[in-house]
Order: sequence, then C-alpha cells, then structure tokens
Amino acid sequence: MRKSPVEVFIFLRTDCPISNRFAPEVQRLSQQFATKGAQFWLVYPDRAESAANVATNAKDFGYSLPVLRDPDRALVKLSHASITPEAAVFSRGKLVYHGRIDDRVAALGKVRPAATTHELQAAVSAALLGQTPAVTEAPAIGCYISDLQ
Amino acid sequence: MFTVFVSLAAALPLAAQSSTPAKSDTYAKDIAPILNAQCVACHHTGGPAPFPLTTFAEVRSHAHQIADVTRAHYMPPWLPDTQVSKFVDQLELSDVQIKTIQSWVGQGAAAGDLASAPKPQNFPDGWQLGKPDLVLTTPKPWTMPASSVDIYRNFIFRVPIDQMKYVRAVEIRPGNTGAVHHANVLIDRKASLRKRDGEDGQPGFPGMDVALESDAFDPDSHFIYWKPGAVVWSEPEGLSWELDPGTDLILNMHLQASGKAEQVQPSLGIYFASSPPTLHPMLLQLDADEQLDIPAGDSNFAVHDEFTLPIDVDVIAIYPHAHYLGHEMNTFATLPDGKKQWLVKIPQWDQSWQGIYRYKGYIHLPRGTVISMQYTYDNSAANVRNPSHPPRRVTVGNSSTDEMAHVWLQVLPVPPEVDGQDARLILQQAVMQHVLEKRPQDFSAHFNLGALYLGQGKAADAEKQFALALAARPNDAATLNSLGAAIEAQGRTAEAVELFRKSIAADPSYVNAHFNLAMALGSSGDFNGAIAEFQRVLTSHPDDSGAEANLGAAYAQINDWKNAEMHLRRALALDPQNKTAEENLAIVLQNLPGH
Repeated sequence: MRKSPVEVFIFLRTDCPISNRFAPEVQRLSQQFATKGAQFWLVYPDRAESAANVATNAKDFGYSLPVLRDPDRALVKLSHASITPEAAVFSRGKLVYHGRIDDRVAALGKVRPAATTHELQAAVSAALLGQTPAVTEAPAIGCYISDLQ
Repeated sequence: MFTVFVSLAAALPLAAQSSTPAKSDTYAKDIAPILNAQCVACHHTGGPAPFPLTTFAEVRSHAHQIADVTRAHYMPPWLPDTQVSKFVDQLELSDVQIKTIQSWVGQGAAAGDLASAPKPQNFPDGWQLGKPDLVLTTPKPWTMPASSVDIYRNFIFRVPIDQMKYVRAVEIRPGNTGAVHHANVLIDRKASLRKRDGEDGQPGFPGMDVALESDAFDPDSHFIYWKPGAVVWSEPEGLSWELDPGTDLILNMHLQASGKAEQVQPSLGIYFASSPPTLHPMLLQLDADEQLDIPAGDSNFAVHDEFTLPIDVDVIAIYPHAHYLGHEMNTFATLPDGKKQWLVKIPQWDQSWQGIYRYKGYIHLPRGTVISMQYTYDNSAANVRNPSHPPRRVTVGNSSTDEMAHVWLQVLPVPPEVDGQDARLILQQAVMQHVLEKRPQDFSAHFNLGALYLGQGKAADAEKQFALALAARPNDAATLNSLGAAIEAQGRTAEAVELFRKSIAADPSYVNAHFNLAMALGSSGDFNGAIAEFQRVLTSHPDDSGAEANLGAAYAQINDWKNAEMHLRRALALDPQNKTAEENLAIVLQNLPGH
C-alpha cells in the first residue's frame, strides 16, 4: 500500500442494495479528496464472493477506486466495522472515524430524500487538517458483515 | 378476567418452546417454509427484490438482517392492519413466525437437514398470465440516473387496435424490476397526454401524479397496478372493460435509483376477454384536498372526508393515496344501523409500499352508509421522508413535495340499474355534488355534472354547470365546446356556433369542437361552412365514419351529388352499419346525373 496521510476504507458487499446505492456518493467523495491526500479503498469482506463478481460490481457501479478483499476480516477488525456500507478513516495509521457515510438512510426502509449530516466528509476533512473529527463514530445502516461466511 | 386467562394459556407453550434450548430451530424445518410462503415471491433470482432467499446459503448471508426487518415489520412490506380487513394476497408474518426467525438467528442460524428442506415454487421468467393478446413496449429504453431522489416517470403506450376490445387483464412488466418500486396504468381515452411525450428529450415525461382530460361521462372503473411480488390480476367473468381505438395507456412509475445508471424499458401485456362486461364498477373517490394546508413542523395534521352512499354498493377494492407526509390513513364505513365496518386501517403509511388492496370477499354497504376517510400528516423534521429540509408549509399538488389526501374505492352498484338508469350515474352525481359542497368552484365537478345532465337530456341544467365550469377555467376548449353543445341542444344555434368557434380558437386541434361546429352550421343552413369543418375533422381523423356520413349529407344539401356519393360510400366502407348513410346514399344515387 502506498502511504497517504489519510486512508479511507469503504466496506461493501455486492448484494447489499444500500451499499450499492451509496456508490455515486462514495465515488464523489473519493474524487473530492483525491488531490488533498486522502486515499479511498473499497473493501469486500465476503470470502464466498468470487473475484470476478467483486470486480464487476465495482465496475458496474462506476467506481474507479482500488479494491481490497478481506476474507480474514483483518481490516474489518482494525476498522471496528460491522455493516456494509460502512466507512473507516485512518489518519497516519490511527482509526479516527468509523460508521455511516452520511445520514441518508435512517433505518432499513426509512430513507431521507437527501442526507442532512455528512459524517464521512467531515471526518476526512478534519483528518486532513490533522484534527480529531467532531464525530468519531456514527452507526451505519445496511447489511451485517457477521452474516457473511 | 376470562380473556386474560385465555391469552395466557395460549402464550405459555410458546414461551416454553422458545426458552428450551433442546428444541433448536433449523432453516430446513422451520425457516424455509416461512420464507417460501411470504418472501421468495420477490426474493428469487431475477425477482424484484435486491437479493434471493431461496437457499440456505443465501438466507444465512442475510440472517441478522432478516431478523431485524421482520421484527420491525418492515418486511414483508404490507401497510394495512390485517386484523380489521382481509385482502387478497396479503403479506404478513404471524407473531409466532417472527419469533421463530428471531430464535433461529439467535441460536446461530443452523442449516438442519437441507435435503429435507421444502423447495420454493418456480417463478416463470415470462408473462405471468401466459402469452398476451397484445404486447406494447416503449420504443426506446429510458435511462435512469445512478443517484437521485425518488423518480416518477410516465410512459405513453398507443394502443394499435382498429376496433373496440374487451380487456380482462393488463400485465405490467416494468422493464427493470430492480429499479421500479411500483407502477400503475391510467386509461387516457382522449390521448390528452401525448403532447408531453419526450418533453425533456427522453422517452416519456416526469411527474408523480398526472391529470387526464375527459369530456364525457366515463368514470374510471378498474385498477391496473404492479408492485413487487403482486400476483397479476385478471378480472373475473363479467368485469372486463372496454378499450377503444385511439386510447392511450399511461404507465405511471415510481423508481428508486440503484447506484448505477439503469435502462428501463417497460412493456404492457394486454389480455382480451371473450365477452363484454356485464358488471360495471366505478371508482368512488373521497378526498380532503382542500383541507391540506400543513404548517411547517406540524407532526399531527388531520384531515377528513365523509360521503353518504345514495345507493347500495359492493366494495371490491380500495386504494389509499398520499405522498411522503402521510402517517395514519384510515377509511371506514358507518352502516345505517350504526355498526362500524373497517375498509382499510393503515397505522403507519409509507408511500413507497402503497398498493391496491382487493377484499377477499366484497363488502356490502347499504344506502345511507357513511364512508369516512381520516388521514394524519407528519410535516415535522422527525419524519425522515419529509421531502423538505427544513420542513416547509405544504399544500395540495401533484408533485412529490406537495401532498394529497385521497382514497378510491372500486364499487359495484347494487342493483346495477335504478328505474332503467345506470346506477353509476346516481353515484357520480352524488359524488360531484359532494365535491361542490367542499369546493364550490371545483372545475371538474361542475364539468362532470354538466356532462352527466347533458347525457340525461337535461340541457338547461347542463348549461348551468358548464357555465360554472367555464367561470373556473375561462378559456378551456373542452368546456366551451360542451357549453355550446348544451346550448345547441336547447335550439339556440347562433349562440352555440359562437361557443364552438371560441373553443376552436382556444385549441385549433380540438376535433370535437370542429365536429360540433360543422353540425351546428349544417343545421342553420350554412352547408358550405359545414363542409369546410367536416373536412377539417377528417384531416386529423381520416377514419371518422360519422364525419364522412355528415360531409356526404352536406354535399347533398348543395346538390353536389358526386362528392355526396363519394363521402357516403366512404362512410359505409368505414361503418357498414350506418343506416342513415345508407338511406342518404340511395337518395343521392337517384339524383345523380344519368340516373
């Protein structure tokens, strides 16, 4: 891994509709921060999913981000992630935020027309300034990583 | 006290079951039967749900999520309270089934003997009702953006038939089941929405609710609907409906962005009935639109409407409708003896999962029954679906940031005729008068009452109603034309001609006004004027046998026998049953030179 000051992991699975629906927003954020020193990574923790399916999913949903597999859940553990989609922000190797991307999904089946808080964006911005984000954890809504093989 | 004992006794064995570790639930024995019955109709490969739940591996990989969404009653998605009304194809899990799922997941979601697990039914890929008699597909797919708020899109299907057909079913294939949340078909008998097709450079046109134009007594009668997992509805014998040439079908779709651009190319499969309808239902609408003025931040804004039935009816189905702020949506009937009959009770509305609800057995409501609609709205910031952030004042309208307060009941008048008159007319008249009590200036109510009276031969009453409709919508071509027709029916031809001319000035393409003007000119002796107008009608509607027949008659009046013969023959070719044209042709042939 090339070292950036800020690393962002986005935990995804191919068959989780909520994680798929966030693709344009994740791609947008990754581009917004690309030149500012934050590197985004897509992480697929499902060990039963084929490499081809993972690659197709990332391509279909318009990602141009590096893809990681996490069959042993090492990144999951490191990031304290439990849901897809969930984000984890590391600043110089230290976990400074993990949780939802934003608050668009309030609960399964309860979706706002637009997000009103943008936790991931705020966390990355703070981390790039060397600050601790105001919000360091926010519950993600989606599919459980623990349900996977 | 007695009740308490009974429920305790019933609950005891269950409590004992779920707390006994010896009895462990398995997918094969306990879970697959529940999912097969209530979930896999959508959750199968190729189905409308986002992932399949037809094998143990598929189910295991969503186990905790299934436990959550069933406990929260989010899945299976079903809005009405099933304790007070029973509907066809209702989706519900019993409390016991929900508990079984929770305990299975809690115990580690064991597979059990997979060889003995019941298999889910097969889901055909093609048309659910078999090969349709007519398939209509949009010529080009529409591209839905990858990310967006909810999308509402309408597609127009022209119906290529040259004679009237009876329809028993319309199967909607949304053309991308993963993207489409629900869809319904409107019947546009006047092709009034064609002009909007492609208005934004893409197939179809946007809009959550669409208003259709109509200028005759032709109340909507059937619900045509698709939602994920719904069994396609085929009308029983006698309940078919007429589909006329020139009619457009409008597919109104609610879509949700999936995260990638989606191609959506819907199709309609139309199934003809072998026999004409013998039963004539009508959609009875209650609404409280005029009360919708919801202050920003109000979490419990209530509206209501009450309608007293002028005749007996059987209720077949019900369709409650609001947008994103709707909360509690209840409709019930109070029978003349005071008894309360629930029609639909929705404790927590979610417009994403709205549906048509068909009763397991018709609900009979006698004359004098009061139907009540009582809705509440949550326009607070705590309503996560609130389309406006921060909340703003909301009034009635067709767009998703406006609100609506409607319920439609599909009813059959019992008996279908009263004193030789279609009982729907009595119902329609009462509905329109009720609307005018609520909204004295309502355009549609005045217009519909006018059309109703004109159809009954009450031309003076019709004139009054059309005049009031015109006051509400001063330069409306259809109203000017109808007012002219009501006045012409009372013998005031000169006034009528003026109105038909004004109607044409308002909308030069409005063919009904050209036809009526031609008829009025003919009856006032201006046959050259009549000929010119009939020719205009035929330019846009070359196969209108009535216009051909009248054009032929007008030529005969000015002794132009050759043209008279040509147009009368053309009329008879289009409609061999036209007796008047046949008689007129016989007269013309006797007058032709050389006869």
